[in-house]
Amino acid sequence: MAVKKINKKNIAKVLAVWRREYNIIVPSMATDVPAFSEWDGEDISFLDWYRNTAVPPKSVVLPPMEKMMSFRKEKDGYKTEVSVNEDKQIIFGIRPCDAKGLAIIDDVFTNGYEDYYYASRRRNTLLIGLGCTNPQESCFCTSMDVDLATSKDVDIMFNDTGSEFIAEAFTAGGEYLLKITTGLKNATGTDMKTAKSVELEAKNKLTRALDTRGVSKKLQACFNNEDFWKQVAAKCVSCGICTFLCPTCFCFDINDEMVRKQGARYREWDSCSFRLYTRMPMENPREEKWRRVRQRVCHKFEFYPMNVDIFACTGCGRCIRLCPVNWDITRVIAGLPRQSDVKEKASALKG
Amino acid sequence: MIIANPKKEKKYLNRDNVYLPHMVLIDKIIEETPSVRTIHFHFKDDQMNRDFTFEAGQFAELSVPGTGEATFCISSSPTRKGPLECCINRVGLVTNALHRLGVGAEMGFRGPYGNHFPLESMRGKNIVFVGGGIGLAPLRSLIWNILDERDKYGKIYIIYGARSAGDLCFKYDLDTWQQDKTISTVIAVDKADGNWTGKEGFVSAVLKEESPRADNAIAVLCGPPIMIRNTFPVLEELGFSPEQIFTTLEKKMKCGIGKCGRCNIGNLYVCRDGPVFSYAQIKSFISDEY
Amino acid sequence: METELCNEAGRLLEEGAVDYVIGFAAGSLKFTTTPLITSDKNDTVNLVNNRFITNNLAKYLLEIKGRVGIIAKGCDSRSIVSLIQDKQVCREDIVIIGIPCAGLIDLAKVEKLVGKDRDLIDDINIADDKAVITIDGKKKGFEARQVLFDHCLSCEYPVPREYDVLIESPVNKIRDDEAGKKKIRELQKMTPERRWAYWKEQFKQCIRCYACREVCPACFCERCFVEESQPRWISPAPQWQDNLVFQVIRALHVAGRCTDCGECERVCPQNIPLRSMSAEMCDLVEELFDYKTGLDKSALPLMTSYEPVEAEGLIR
Repeated sequence: MAVKKINKKNIAKVLAVWRREYNIIVPSMATDVPAFSEWDGEDISFLDWYRNTAVPPKSVVLPPMEKMMSFRKEKDGYKTEVSVNEDKQIIFGIRPCDAKGLAIIDDVFTNGYEDYYYASRRRNTLLIGLGCTNPQESCFCTSMDVDLATSKDVDIMFNDTGSEFIAEAFTAGGEYLLKITTGLKNATGTDMKTAKSVELEAKNKLTRALDTRGVSKKLQACFNNEDFWKQVAAKCVSCGICTFLCPTCFCFDINDEMVRKQGARYREWDSCSFRLYTRMPMENPREEKWRRVRQRVCHKFEFYPMNVDIFACTGCGRCIRLCPVNWDITRVIAGLPRQSDVKEKASALKG
Repeated sequence: MIIANPKKEKKYLNRDNVYLPHMVLIDKIIEETPSVRTIHFHFKDDQMNRDFTFEAGQFAELSVPGTGEATFCISSSPTRKGPLECCINRVGLVTNALHRLGVGAEMGFRGPYGNHFPLESMRGKNIVFVGGGIGLAPLRSLIWNILDERDKYGKIYIIYGARSAGDLCFKYDLDTWQQDKTISTVIAVDKADGNWTGKEGFVSAVLKEESPRADNAIAVLCGPPIMIRNTFPVLEELGFSPEQIFTTLEKKMKCGIGKCGRCNIGNLYVCRDGPVFSYAQIKSFISDEY
Repeated sequence: METELCNEAGRLLEEGAVDYVIGFAAGSLKFTTTPLITSDKNDTVNLVNNRFITNNLAKYLLEIKGRVGIIAKGCDSRSIVSLIQDKQVCREDIVIIGIPCAGLIDLAKVEKLVGKDRDLIDDINIADDKAVITIDGKKKGFEARQVLFDHCLSCEYPVPREYDVLIESPVNKIRDDEAGKKKIRELQKMTPERRWAYWKEQFKQCIRCYACREVCPACFCERCFVEESQPRWISPAPQWQDNLVFQVIRALHVAGRCTDCGECERVCPQNIPLRSMSAEMCDLVEELFDYKTGLDKSALPLMTSYEPVEAEGLIR
């Protein structure tokens, strides 16, 4: 299908067409922070201010909390009802970093045993990517093999040319959306050139970088360097912001509730940063903070790539921007000891 | 974009939903110790009772609806049709709730998950079982599995211990095994009280004393982490290579299927790549968190 | 002023008076600072003192044992005193380097004021009671009170009262309690139904990241009540009801320990106005018990001490 173009003034009309069949989820400031929420049918002012949200769009397919099933105790036993969301929906405006994060979560949740709830939402979700024009100072996507102007993990990719968007569909779902939007003109060669120069201008605005060469090996070498990790972890406060706001993080907990004879099983976001995450009755392998910080860094840059050959980090920068203490993964990775520097000695710093 | 043709697991799904438990009913409860009980149960769904199979070493997620889910190894043998068995140590919210259930009560069951003991590679060999406390539960599944196919295996040693006589689990099995002339069974307690007539000492020390031969043998151990860590060097001293030693590791689990993230040791997930690991694999772990 | 600070901190490490120094260093983003925890005297040259030193460093005293030199603003030093009262920190173990603080810049306020994200702003400068924000080379003037944190506007103790060393600096403190408590007064004027509806909407956004709890020095419990499973007081799942209960109970637990440092509200990724709960709690504590946190290290902690002359008749 040819690349189409849409005037920014007509976006509301296009979304309205799609809204007949899909829930439309767009960036919004309704809750005083940029967040993805259901479109009200009118407001497209987000096109003016949207750079990226606080909570990533993973929350649309893997919400902070969801009910998995409800129980009712009856005379002949428990009656279980499964609740699942299968509404067709479109996430409009997902950035390439977040789209790649979603692809990583897709892989984990649909391989092996399929995660029933995630898969139900995800297979009914179409992603409309939006190329960045104004990356933030915390962004470092290009260091993580993410192109801020395109993504192979979306159904349609929108790119800014100033007054218009060019839209390229990559999947059957994307093509369908462009097909039902009648009257779309094809993008011209000039449009494509303009989009490319906008893309270049955006890339030139990136100020942050992370050198990933040899990082897995470096991490393997310093795994037991307690001194190093205690230093790295010293200012971390073990909250869940970096993990909850990370587009590639997906850890969850499952808990039940029951009041008299009715109850439910929920799953909610959990974090490897929390002290109780790995706690067992007799021991906790990550009681100390430095072990949890080490786990997080190594999972993203060593363990996950060992299994899937992709870093579990897409350079969105939220962890840096929103961390209460400005703990910065790019600085940590840059500060990894060179293999020859590995020292192992006891430290007076506890915790 | 969902991966086209992902490797799909579909075994024993309830309504296609891996998180939806099958409901089971408790047939029998054996109070092993003041804090440990074994529950025998069967599926409410007769088709499941007919179809369900598993392999020794695998685990399941048992739940009390409304209280929560927890991970337990299946301690009955796959060679026997009939009720499944799980051994439960009363330590927290869910296990306390499981201990309050009576015969006829209903629980949730999800499983079997994880890998299993490599029976094929054990055929024709002598098997040395080393167990501590409630760690006998997963071993028991394998022991009965092997005893039910006795002629496929060589000599069997069972070295089992607990903190005290009151902490010994599966006493009825221990009695049976002690009567079996083809098995060398040694039972020890860490601290003997006046009535104990058996051996006293840690399991690793007893193992050293018994010194089973390593040639053509496989060792399988399970128990508290400290016992496992102390037993590895003893086995190596006896001449067991790391490839000849197997154990089953325990970590905090929730989903049981490699999604919730918490049971990882480095890049491996105990629920998916374990819980059975060889010592050779453990030695090559890139993380020390086990 | 910064030189004096660096020298003092360096001297403490050099002379072996402390094992660690906790202070602020320049952050990796514009207009940020980050805690600096170091045992190396050469690191102390990186210490900064500016309008962005927001963290309440007292929190780190709970985990860094041994002798520690700690840089403290007014609110931080009160938190330290409160921890001393609760016997979480030993006064003899710490050397408090007090820095007077004229108020810190609230980047969220600045962003709303100029309609631009913080990384697109060139400079934010405060001199006396005026603030100048530079964007694309163009300067815009504001009142300083428009860019300072609400809790800074309400602050009564800009100069630390408990210290070993006080770094001298003129403090042109702007106090505007009315502006600082405006949001709280608005809430107080609401009917209970409207206020309930307001907080319900706010707590629907809470994702239970616990950042508010983890940055708070008053939250020093080894095991927080939300982590108890027997009995399970609230669900770990972020339903608005449980979120609200979490925050209300947290506000009750920190009563008498909270110094209105504003960190809980600043760090919340969902912009939930948590200070509207904790600051009101401070006011209530003052009104009911005539007590302000962290002013007297030898005083008994407010909520955990009992005297036979208690006002409540039911305890005899």
